[in-house]
Parts: sequence; C-alpha cells; structure tokens
Amino acid sequence: MAVGETIVTRIGWKWRPALAGLLVAVAVATGAAQPPRRIISLVPAVTEILFAIGAGPHVVAVSNYDVEPPEVRSLPTVGALLDPDTERIIAMKPDLVITYGSQDDLKTQLTRVKIPFFDYRHGGLEHIIATMRALGARTGNVNQADQAARSLQTAIDAVRQRVAGKPRPRTLLVFGREPGSLRNIYASAGRGFLHDMLVAAGGEDVLDDIDKESAHISAEIVLARPPDVIIELNAATRLNEADLKKVVDPWMRLSSVPAVKNGRVIVLTGPGMTVPGPRVAEGVEKIARALHP
Amino acid sequence: MSIRRRLALVLGGFAIFTAAILTWAPTVGSTAISLARAFDRSIPWESNVDAQIFFVARLPRVLAGALVGAALAAAGVVLQALLRNPLATPFTLGVSAGASLGAMLAVTMQLEFGLLGITSIPLASFAGSLLATGIVYALAASQRRGLSTNVLLLAGVTLNAFFSALILFVQYIADFAEALRAIRWMMGGLDVASYTPIVAALPFVLLAFGAFAVMPRTLNLLSIGAEAASARGVEVKTAQRVAFLSASLATGAAVSLGGPIGFIGIVVPHLVRLLVGADHRIVLPASALFGASFLVVCDLAARTVMSPLEIPVGVVTALIGGPFFLWLLVKRS
Amino acid sequence: MWVRELLWADNVSFRYAPGAPLVVDGVTVRLSDGALAGILGPNGSGKTTLLRLLSGTRRPSSGRVLLGAQPLDRLSRRDAARQIAVVPQETELAFEYRAIEIVLMGRHPHLGVFTVEGPDDVRIATEAMAATGTGHLAERPFHELSGGEKQRVVIAAALAQSAALLLLDEPTASLDLGYQLEISSLLQHLNQQRGVTMAISTHDLNLAASICRELILMRNGRVLASGPTTDVLTPDNIRRLYDVEADVQVNSETGHTTVVPVRKVVRPSSARASEGQ
Repeated sequence: MAVGETIVTRIGWKWRPALAGLLVAVAVATGAAQPPRRIISLVPAVTEILFAIGAGPHVVAVSNYDVEPPEVRSLPTVGALLDPDTERIIAMKPDLVITYGSQDDLKTQLTRVKIPFFDYRHGGLEHIIATMRALGARTGNVNQADQAARSLQTAIDAVRQRVAGKPRPRTLLVFGREPGSLRNIYASAGRGFLHDMLVAAGGEDVLDDIDKESAHISAEIVLARPPDVIIELNAATRLNEADLKKVVDPWMRLSSVPAVKNGRVIVLTGPGMTVPGPRVAEGVEKIARALHP
Repeated sequence: MSIRRRLALVLGGFAIFTAAILTWAPTVGSTAISLARAFDRSIPWESNVDAQIFFVARLPRVLAGALVGAALAAAGVVLQALLRNPLATPFTLGVSAGASLGAMLAVTMQLEFGLLGITSIPLASFAGSLLATGIVYALAASQRRGLSTNVLLLAGVTLNAFFSALILFVQYIADFAEALRAIRWMMGGLDVASYTPIVAALPFVLLAFGAFAVMPRTLNLLSIGAEAASARGVEVKTAQRVAFLSASLATGAAVSLGGPIGFIGIVVPHLVRLLVGADHRIVLPASALFGASFLVVCDLAARTVMSPLEIPVGVVTALIGGPFFLWLLVKRS
Repeated sequence: MWVRELLWADNVSFRYAPGAPLVVDGVTVRLSDGALAGILGPNGSGKTTLLRLLSGTRRPSSGRVLLGAQPLDRLSRRDAARQIAVVPQETELAFEYRAIEIVLMGRHPHLGVFTVEGPDDVRIATEAMAATGTGHLAERPFHELSGGEKQRVVIAAALAQSAALLLLDEPTASLDLGYQLEISSLLQHLNQQRGVTMAISTHDLNLAASICRELILMRNGRVLASGPTTDVLTPDNIRRLYDVEADVQVNSETGHTTVVPVRKVVRPSSARASEGQ
C-alpha cells in the first residue's frame, strides 16, 4: 500500500495505528481488499477525474471518445456509452470499470463475471466534487482526491466571491445549433453542471424554470425571454475573426434581444467546456469573465 | 352542377380554409404578442420584440410549414396514382432516405459549406435526394417499356433500406453530440428563423407544382392502369417520367427544408379523398392546400404544447397521423 | 360493294422482349368500316396482344398497322385515341371513382390540358351511359357495381371516346349468362344503330357466332383462318383451333350458328407442333 504508507509517513508516529485502522475501514467499506490496479473508464469526464486524483497510472483502457488528458490517447479503447465492447472489457481483466448509469446490460454482465464497477451519472457541480471524493476512496487515493476536490471547490468559490453582489445578467447558454442558422438551438436549462457553472459565474439562466439539463428551443423563445448575454460554447479550439463572425452572424436577426443589441453574443471556444470533469473550474472562470468583464 | 362549378367551389373552399389557417397561425404561439405593435412601423425594428417574434420567429415557420406540407401532400398524391398504390408515400421511393443521408453526412462530418446563404445541411440533403432520384430513375428506366412501376417500387424500397443502413452507420461512427443532432434532424423541424431556406426551396417546389398542374386528368387515367391510360390517349412513358421526377423534386426540396416529416404524404391525400372523391383534379390541388394547413397546425402544436420546449414536428404529425390512419384502415376493411 | 378499310394490320409480329418468343407472328387483319369482327382462339393465342397492336398501345416488332392511310405509330396517343377506343378485359381501380367519372375519362383525348369537361362532354357521357343502360348508375361508386355493370360502364367510357373503332378484349369473359346476353346484344345494337366498327376478342364461340359477321381464328400467334363467320366456323376449323370435336348447326329460326363441343381430340404432340409451322 504505497499510497497509504506515504500518508502515514507524513502524518507522523503518533497517529499511525489509528490511521491504519481508518484505511482498513475504508477498504472494507468499499468492498475492495486491494485498491484497483486495472481500471477501465467508459466515461470521458470520469477519466479526467481519475487522472486528477492520481489514479491515472492504473487506467488501462478508456472509451472511444476519450481524448483528455493526453495520456489516454495511447490507451486501448473499449467502445462507448451505447456500444461498450463487453467481451474486450472482460478480457482485459479489469478490477474496476467506470460505467454510466444507463449501461444496464454491461453492468449485468460485469456482475455475472464478478468484476466490480463504479456507476456514474452526470449531475451538477457538487456531483463532480462528490464523485472525486468517492473515486478517491474507491481507488485508494483519498488524499489526492481530497486535494483535487478542494482545489476545484476553491477555484469555483473564488469566482463566486468575485461576482457576488454584481448584477446577474440574464444569460442563454447555448451548446448546440445548426451551423449558419438559428435552427435546433440546444441550451442549458434549469439543472446540471452547465447550469451550475453559469450560476456560479454570476449569471441568471433564462431557462431556469425548465427542470432539465438541456432544452431544445425555438427562436421565438429567445425573443420572448430576451437574454442580456448569449454564451455559445463552440468545440473548436480557436476561431479566427472570419469564422467567429460566421458563428455569431445568425444571431443578428434577433436584433431586439439585448444580448444582440449590445454586442454581447460571446463564443467560448475549447472542447473542454462541456465535460463535467476537473476542467469545469476553467469553464466557470471563462463564463465569469464573459459575464463580468 | 357543372363540373367546372364543382371544381371551383370545392377548391375555393379549400383555398379559403387554408388562407384562414395561414393567417391565423402566426398570430398565436408560446408567447402572447400584440399584433398592433408588431405591425406598427413607427417603432424601430431593433426594439420591436413583437414584430421580431412575428416576422423572424413565426412567419418563416408558418411559410416553411405551408411549403413543406403542400409539397409532401401533393407528391404523395402523384406517387399514389403513379404506382396505383394508395399506400405509397413521398418516402416510398428512397428520395427522403437519400435526403436524410445527405443531411446526416453534413451533420456528422461537421461540413460547414454554404451557397448563397443556404447552409450545408439543406444543401447536402437536397443533393442526396437528387442522387436517390437519379439511381431509382436509372434503374426503372432501363426497362425497355417505359418506367416499370414494379421496378420503381422495388428499387425505391430497396434503396430506402440501403440508405437507411448507411444513415445508421454514419450515426454510429459519429460523435455522440453529432449523432444526437442527426437524430433530431430526422424528426423534422420547421423553426427556420430565416426566409433564406424557404426562398431556396421555393423554385424547386414551384417547378414540381408546374408539372403537377398539367397532370391531374392524366393521373386519373394512370390510376386505372397504364394500358387503359394509353388507350385513352395518354403518352404513358412521358407521363410516368414527369410524375416520378416532379414528385421526387418536390419531396427532395421539402425534406431539405423541413426534414423527413412523415404521414403528411399519406394522411392528407386519403382524408381529402374521403371528403371530395377520387378525381385528381380536385384531390391534387386540395391535398396541396390541406397539406399546407395540416402541417402548419401540427407545427403550431409542436411550438406551443410543451412551450418553452419544442416538440419535433414529425412527432406531432405521426401522433395525429398514425391513429388516424389506423382508423381509416379499420373503417375500410 | 366497295368497302373502305378502316384499320389494316399488315403482316405484324410482336415479342414482349428481345429474344422472347413471338406472341403475334405475321398476322394480317383488315377491318372495314362498319365491320363487326370476332377474334377467336384459345388462351395464349395472342388475341389480347393483337388488340394492343391494333389500338396502338404497343408497336409491332415488325410489320405495320395503318389507320386509314396513316401508319398508326405516327399518330400521337391522343390522336389515335380519338379514333380507336378500347375496352380492356378487366378494369381494376386504385381509387374509388364514381361510374360517371370513369365514363368522363373517355373524353380525355378530346380535351386540352387545362380544359374541364363542358356541357357537350357531359352530354356525350350521359348518352353513352344511356346507350349501355347504365344511366341510373352514374353516381354509384364503380367498385360497388356488379361485374356486368362494371363492364357496361367501361364500354360506355369507350363510347364516350367518340371513336369510330371499338376494340373489346373478352368483354363477356367474367360474366354470367344473363350479362353475356346483355353485352352481346348491346354490342350488336351499337354496331348496327351507331355504325361503330368493332373487333371483339373472345373465347366464346357462340357469342362470336351470334353477333360477329366475320371471324379471325388465331392459334399460337398466327391466323388459322379468317373470313365470313359462316365460312370460317366449321367443325374442321374448330378442331384445329381447340382440339375439340364440335357440332356446328345453323338455327333456322334465328339464323344463328350454334357450336356444341362434343369431345376433346387427343393428338400426338408432334402433330400439334408441326401444325404450328
């Protein structure tokens, strides 16, 4: 138990027996005699969390969609949310599989062959932090997980403090739309991490009353609930002037919307914005800077 | 009553009904607006929310719905007569599957080209519909005697299945978010929020309607059989070609504008036949008119029932059309 | 007496696809003005195809069909349909038309693209229905009519076409005795009173014998015999046509020829094959 030993060394003589007992208790409570050493993650956001809490070296395979952190790009892939390659997953003899809540078939299979799994579903910001801690306990990285969770919390709290008391602009947070038009607008609604990020960054979600993570809305809704700011998340890493204009242009048709009138349609680039992992801190920061320049 | 009078009366009735629906539809929606304000030219455009809701959000939607509904319903009538099969739809012959494949590729490969302000998805889906039409036509026309409607039907249905498989494959290899957007496109949507795509689709629909205009009596004869039609003076080969190509053009333009919205092309013609009989001189224009108002009303439901959320309009047409069609089947048998 | 030839099929042959057997093989048929001709032959003898060649809905693979002095295939379908009307064997509708609508479709070759039937067209259609005794069925849905009513409505539609020539493909095939009689007297009436030239394909020897003034006997796509009914309808020809021994008698009362089949002739297949040469 290399990790356990470092903790014990740091803490000092006096507390050794107690701490050892605590660690054993945690190990028993999570049902694992040994912390997992062969982890397969099928959820990109959780993969990022695993690396953030120091369990990265034990990740042996990831989903087809995993690209962060860069280390995972050389790892074998075993399918994804809808099409996990169960055979391959079992053949790799993992001692922990990160599954998504809806992967019932996979979970049944794993139970049958007695491979433990950690079941995850997207939630709000709090849930990301809780997941960090839970995974820390499960992988024997309690300390590092706690650190990561705290620094994430601190970063978000810092933004919260900074924007506290400032006027909260009514904001529409768009994360999907048909290119070049205002068709099929998908926006963050009343719950979920995007909503939490927006609120933490000092905005008021114009779709606050919709109890869903995302909403498919029409142009009429944008006009009827005119936002002061429109933030559009774009997966591109960087947009040049011309491309940026192309992205923003369709919104100009809604010139009665304050966000459009006052030039506050803001495009935030970077693929990390929509991943509910450790990078949400950056995301909150970016949104805060957009809302409160 | 003379036939002319009957035609004029029935079509006049349908035209008035449709005009009433099209006038009423943009005045209602998820938000209450003041029409007086919307049409008040003294309020600057930039600050006239009512006007923008009316002219930017609603009117294009209603117009797109009317165009797509008219095109799909009329194309359904033409194909049912051509194939002598009341169960044929604008989507039977693979045209919409081609259009959908085009759109899928544009969505999943994140193509962002454009032409004269028209975006990649409608362009790609229109190209796909032309491709499918070309393939089906080439197969059916390679028969020595005119278009074989059997080959047309078989080729169309097979191509439909083949393209659907390709669509699934493209969705499967696509990223999650793109696949989701692609699936959403397949459910149909009329929230165009701009006149450009309507203006782009209009010439093709008009061209097809121009062909439809000369066809009704010929369709009557085609529907009693190719041999009989020929004996009554119909140039069957030409008529079949024009019917197939124009119906495909209308379908392709409609699908590229609103997505593959189902049930319009079959429910509307049947309902119209129930009301006015089988004569295509009434059925064809009346279906176009009724198709327009039917889709506009369905879209009105789509944008208001769960407001502020949108229901995909294809879901609404299927929810209304499906049970109606089953009722029709039971009633007939 | 000088008789004008209205329709002349000159040595026509037809196959449905390249390489397929000839369905009509070197047939010559002359229909003079006012003729009432019967085309007789067993199933698959090429009767229906010959009618299609005569109406111009199919073009002969070789030979030619002349309508008056003009080659039929030079005419547009519209022009041909103004002069030749066809009553097909069966009419299956994809949609529910009313009887009057079916009859009005006969006016198609006389109407422009955007022309709607006027009072004259309606009058012609109504007369045609009256002539076929279907006037009372005008507003009834076609698919609800009986077989005989349907056939008479379709004949009315052909009459409404105002063509000088009427080609009928087995008009009584699916009808019971009563309707057969009704249709045959209708056809005779139309020929005699209205001067419509007719060619009727049929299996029914007695129908042919009772109304047709001339007969064309077809077997294996070829003409076996043709000429005035009394000359052609001999026991010998019937045996060659159907392989059936028959009793042929002329009824002194009606002047009709009656044919009573007696027995099937069993012949060696070689003889049958050589006969077709």
